[in-house]
Amino acid sequence: MSILDQIYEKAKQNPQRVAFPEAENEKMMQAAYETGKDGYIIPILVGDAKKLKDLSEERGYDSSVFRFVDIQEEEYKNKLIGMYVAQPGRFLKEKALARRMQDPLYYAMVMQAVEEAEVTFAGIDNTTGDVLLAGQMIIGMQPGISTISSIGLCDIPGFEGSEGSLLAVGDSAVCTNPNAEQLASIAISACDTVKALLDWEPRCAMVSYSTLGSGQGELIDKVVEAVKIAKEQRPDLAIDGEFQFDAAISPAVAAKKVGRESKVAGKANVVIWPDLNVGNVAVKLIQQFGHANAYGPMLQGFNKVVCDCSRGAPVSEIKGNIVISAVRAAGMQ
Amino acid sequence: MDRKELEAKIIELVAMSYNKDASELSVDTKIKEELGGASLLMVGLVSEIENELDVLIQLQVAAACATIGELVDKVEEQM
Repeated sequence: MSILDQIYEKAKQNPQRVAFPEAENEKMMQAAYETGKDGYIIPILVGDAKKLKDLSEERGYDSSVFRFVDIQEEEYKNKLIGMYVAQPGRFLKEKALARRMQDPLYYAMVMQAVEEAEVTFAGIDNTTGDVLLAGQMIIGMQPGISTISSIGLCDIPGFEGSEGSLLAVGDSAVCTNPNAEQLASIAISACDTVKALLDWEPRCAMVSYSTLGSGQGELIDKVVEAVKIAKEQRPDLAIDGEFQFDAAISPAVAAKKVGRESKVAGKANVVIWPDLNVGNVAVKLIQQFGHANAYGPMLQGFNKVVCDCSRGAPVSEIKGNIVISAVRAAGMQ
Repeated sequence: MDRKELEAKIIELVAMSYNKDASELSVDTKIKEELGGASLLMVGLVSEIENELDVLIQLQVAAACATIGELVDKVEEQM
């Protein structure tokens, strides 16, 4: 059974409520319908309910699969606003929130924030910037986490790592040039993400061009500092480095290069790149030369699961990302 | 609200969002260089401006302002 099949199976056992603020979009509605009809999620379409119902029928879907939420319906909207502003530490007050909630993206995230949905799934009409801003404003960040970031899950044919052919890597998509504190946040978030999604015991390597002082310079200093911060913030997690990539994932190389005890060296299942130049190039190498399937990017660092799918994504990819998001949300509870 | 009152209000909101003493801030305070901080603080500031002044400033617009004075200009344009 492939990793994606396993995740689909897990979703079915505990379907989560997913709010779709862009359901007028044909591909998004199809993905919501198919994942809902097959029992992986409970899809909630947020927007102009009449228009959404009409579109659903025009497109030949059984509307009973969906729950429709009309953003103009005052009673439910006011209930959501009341619940939201009562939560501590929220940025927006009633009036400003009501205005933002005229946008289905913000409305859906408010539903998620007050636990009327477990996931908000968007990104096909809204830009990544729109989704990240709404996420920061409405959902908020996890305590102690200083940046939004992402990880991807690579399924690499022929790779025999500590999780078989799978390796989680980050950040290859969001945080361009993290400082040491942000890099530590990326590692911590990545560990929490793989725990929630895959039930892995994370072993997280922070990589650079040096293994435990074999090289020197400011690029390495940043990674060393990040390892220190991450260990201080979350001593419960196995985060270690700085390692070269081979010392992180190969037991034979680790045995030669890492002259001390490490829970991570040689058996890392999570690899954290020092910046986005490395991360983006590395993922392309893994895909091009390793012929890997890469799932994601999965956004992390928010208080709850926020998902931004690619605007050009086909329905099959959207469905995969919906189900991954739902399983992450279930794992975070 | 005249310009001076608006400047004082924005300085108060910046102080609150960035956890600074308002007396240390002026319209010439450079936001990035002198206040620093994560983008989340700017999200908080934009939200406070919405709450208090009923003005919606895009995050990108606020983030592009070099000084508090420039931010006051942008808010004034929207009022």
